[in-house]
Amino acid sequence: MEIAFWGVRGSIPAPGPSTVRYGGNTACVSLRPKNGGLIVLDCGTGARNLGMALMEGVFGQGRGEASILLSHAHWDHIQGFPFFVPLYHSGNRFHIFGGAQSSAMLEGILEGQMAPQYFPVQTLKNMGAGIDIAAIDEGEPFQVAGCTVRARTNPHGRAGALAFRIEDGAQSVVYASDAGYAPSGPPPASIDLYRGADILIHDSTYTPEDGRRYADRGFSSVENAVDAAIAGQVKRLVLFHYDQDYSDAEVDGLCARGRRLLDERGGREIEVTGAAEGATLAI
Amino acid sequence: MRVRFWGVRGSLPVPGQKTERYGGNTSCVEVRSAAGTRVVVDAGTGIRKLGKELGTDGDAGRTDVHLLISHTHWDHIQGLPYFSPLYQRGNKLSVYARKRDDLHLHAVFASQTDDPYFPVPFAEAQAEIAFRELTDSAKFEIADVKVACARLNHPYIATAYRLTVDGASVVYVSDTAPFTDILFEDEFVEHPPSPGAELPARDRQKLAHMRDGVVRLCAGADLVIYDTMFTSEDYQRIPHYGHSRPSDAVDICREADARRLVLFHHAPERTDTEIDGILAETKTLAARDGGALEVMAAYEGLDVELGRG
Repeated sequence: MEIAFWGVRGSIPAPGPSTVRYGGNTACVSLRPKNGGLIVLDCGTGARNLGMALMEGVFGQGRGEASILLSHAHWDHIQGFPFFVPLYHSGNRFHIFGGAQSSAMLEGILEGQMAPQYFPVQTLKNMGAGIDIAAIDEGEPFQVAGCTVRARTNPHGRAGALAFRIEDGAQSVVYASDAGYAPSGPPPASIDLYRGADILIHDSTYTPEDGRRYADRGFSSVENAVDAAIAGQVKRLVLFHYDQDYSDAEVDGLCARGRRLLDERGGREIEVTGAAEGATLAI
Repeated sequence: MRVRFWGVRGSLPVPGQKTERYGGNTSCVEVRSAAGTRVVVDAGTGIRKLGKELGTDGDAGRTDVHLLISHTHWDHIQGLPYFSPLYQRGNKLSVYARKRDDLHLHAVFASQTDDPYFPVPFAEAQAEIAFRELTDSAKFEIADVKVACARLNHPYIATAYRLTVDGASVVYVSDTAPFTDILFEDEFVEHPPSPGAELPARDRQKLAHMRDGVVRLCAGADLVIYDTMFTSEDYQRIPHYGHSRPSDAVDICREADARRLVLFHHAPERTDTEIDGILAETKTLAARDGGALEVMAAYEGLDVELGRG
């Protein structure tokens, strides 16, 4: 399986000279399972660059198919959707999954972003590609692109955000963005979801100090991410969803902090990397 | 007055190396009079940094911002939930935009921060917020600043603003298509017009009237900030997206006898080097036949001082 990072920032895109190395686009990650399919995790502004890259291949010929998994509908996880060019080419097919009480409600949430007062395309129906939308039933594993997906809701401020475990044969990736755990740490169901994963992409919005300062915002600090990785005994932790005000040097510091905390807390075997726009990881 | 550019991009924010010099934040321009009146035009992601600056100056908790919205497409409002003065008691925000028949302005903004899109509902903002809906050719005053409006040619309709204070005028014309090939109203325009297709007389008259309004609004202005998102090739391909070329802006400015044009609302795909090239070409165009129009390209952090103070 190959993982590519298109947007790694939280809350709002952060353009500027101080963010060019890690990147300023909001959350978007793509997965290429062994069978060659495509899974997209979240549609922050990073989705625009992913879409343009996809147009070089079958999506540019209207023969592409992908599944999009949405953790939740805060802007930084859906705002790239209207700018995802393959959606405008008829023949392409997209299967969209996300958290909502019903599929119709999930469609309504996405339509809300396209409404005429906000966006000139006015409705999903004007986009051109084939789109089907399904609310996720948390208890039930489901199949996309030849992989088995399981979802669990993590606490995230007043709302929740889905974490996904994607299994491609024996390989596994977990995407857990926007997780604001109670002081006791991740709930048991989340630890189950993370357990033994080859890669855990985890919310790491803050330094431990900022994390304590903004505890009510529903995000993880690098410390919370480290604790989740150790609890789940994952092989590799990827820090993700950095605060919009953190410079590249500060994210370097966050990654170094992650390494140190893992070593101190019994996670010496766990590798740690900071997600960076344009980077790929292979399992 | 001082005009400061906080966000100069159209469509969506574009971080990255290729946009480092001109900047990747979406539309936001601040105008401050010598007496201290603060008018901000549009609330794209650039407004976040303005908010940070306001939070650290001596007026924190006493900030009074007048926000003029050209139209409510995302790239013109998406920064507002991240404008930190909203969350401090004592601050004031007045939001102005065109009155519509279908939706109240308050609802358009409140929905942006509704569940499930944003964690803090608008009702929890601590600042005192007021909304004022405008007619197409409204004229009004914000303390010492005189404001005049004109309608633009853009899907769902946008408004241009002229601000006059301290003996100088700045005009903000974004977003708009030229006034020739398509009349934009509220409907979705699915396809570009066929080449050479003639518009119905009513549409032609309406466009001519709209164009006159924009030229009048720009008459003798010291600075005209204009949507020049499109190249000629873009316009050939997607005229129905509702944006102008630099040549359209030059024509309007020359006709209006404006002094300086600022190219604005750069396309997300436009690199810094490409904008350099477009600026050089537009300068040449503006200087043709002895034209005196000066041209600049907006970048994040650009300050322009006009008139007194």
